[in-house]
Amino acid sequence: MTDHSDEGTLFRSRKFTDWPTVKEALISKDIGGVFILAPMAMQLVADGIPIKVVYLGHRDGTAIIVGKDSGINDFKGLAGKTIAIPSRYANQNILMHKSMKEWGMPYDSIDLRELPPPEHPTALQAGTIDGYIVGEPFAAKAEVDGFGKVLYHTKDIWPEFISCVLVVQEDLIEGRRELIQELVDGIAKSGKWLDEDIEHRMDAAEVSAKNYYFQDPELLKYVLSKPVDRVKYTNLAPLKPDFDEIMELAHEIGVLSRRVGFDEYADPSFVRDLEELDWNMDRLPSAESKP
Amino acid sequence: MKRKVMIGALVWALLLTVAHIQLNVGWKALSDEAQVRLGQKRRELTVGFLPVT
Repeated sequence: MTDHSDEGTLFRSRKFTDWPTVKEALISKDIGGVFILAPMAMQLVADGIPIKVVYLGHRDGTAIIVGKDSGINDFKGLAGKTIAIPSRYANQNILMHKSMKEWGMPYDSIDLRELPPPEHPTALQAGTIDGYIVGEPFAAKAEVDGFGKVLYHTKDIWPEFISCVLVVQEDLIEGRRELIQELVDGIAKSGKWLDEDIEHRMDAAEVSAKNYYFQDPELLKYVLSKPVDRVKYTNLAPLKPDFDEIMELAHEIGVLSRRVGFDEYADPSFVRDLEELDWNMDRLPSAESKP
Repeated sequence: MKRKVMIGALVWALLLTVAHIQLNVGWKALSDEAQVRLGQKRRELTVGFLPVT
């Protein structure tokens, strides 16, 4: 394992713990790109920040979690309950509204409360919320620890769900196009590698748990295998129909201050056919060595 | 006269170049790019993430 790409570029990752700091880092150009919530990317563009969505982080990988003994067995059971969402700008918020609409429930029938993702499981366990909707591994946390159950995986209620998207600074697209292409190709190659073999996923869980997420590797292994299509790392091209649907719903519920056209916030020109890309690697070296 | 025009043109081009670097490129970016091209440094890009999937 190396600390740079095949082409020699050093891609550094910077961990953030809240969305406002991410926004600040983008505005100050402290970072070249970031994995960010899809509706938030749209709103940033609506606010005049020159960024573009160039790829997705993953598909699915979100679940609605309720207490194990809550007696809630379908979406209607969430009426009158308090459910945590990661942010009003999260696609998880849009999904809750989409589902309320589909189930014929008024938008105020569920008390949606913004809470930082790492606090979702503890809040459910403490009884301050009745459930939550969040990206992994925090959804699986309550399941693995035995106090929560999955009400729905997004793959079952909004297939190919989009949560995080990769946005990059527009001036990098104009001035350093080859760098962005390298980044997108790298994500596409690693996604293809992850989805082609369960052993690859187990290796990735070990490495990312110890070096990036600082989470229990067993939790990440669970997320990446129970079931194996709980989160997917292929089909990551930003597609206009998917984004149009998110944008319209986000605008309808007031998350977006105005409608934003796909061409304003997305640039899918870096997407290449996965057949052209190969990571040429079987298993990851020991998770002991920091990448 | 011809020499004066030549020198003037060169100074003008130099001033425009400096202004372009100062306003559009940035001295650090230029220095980094030069070091990358000379093989003294790797190209770098920092990408942020929040640990949610």
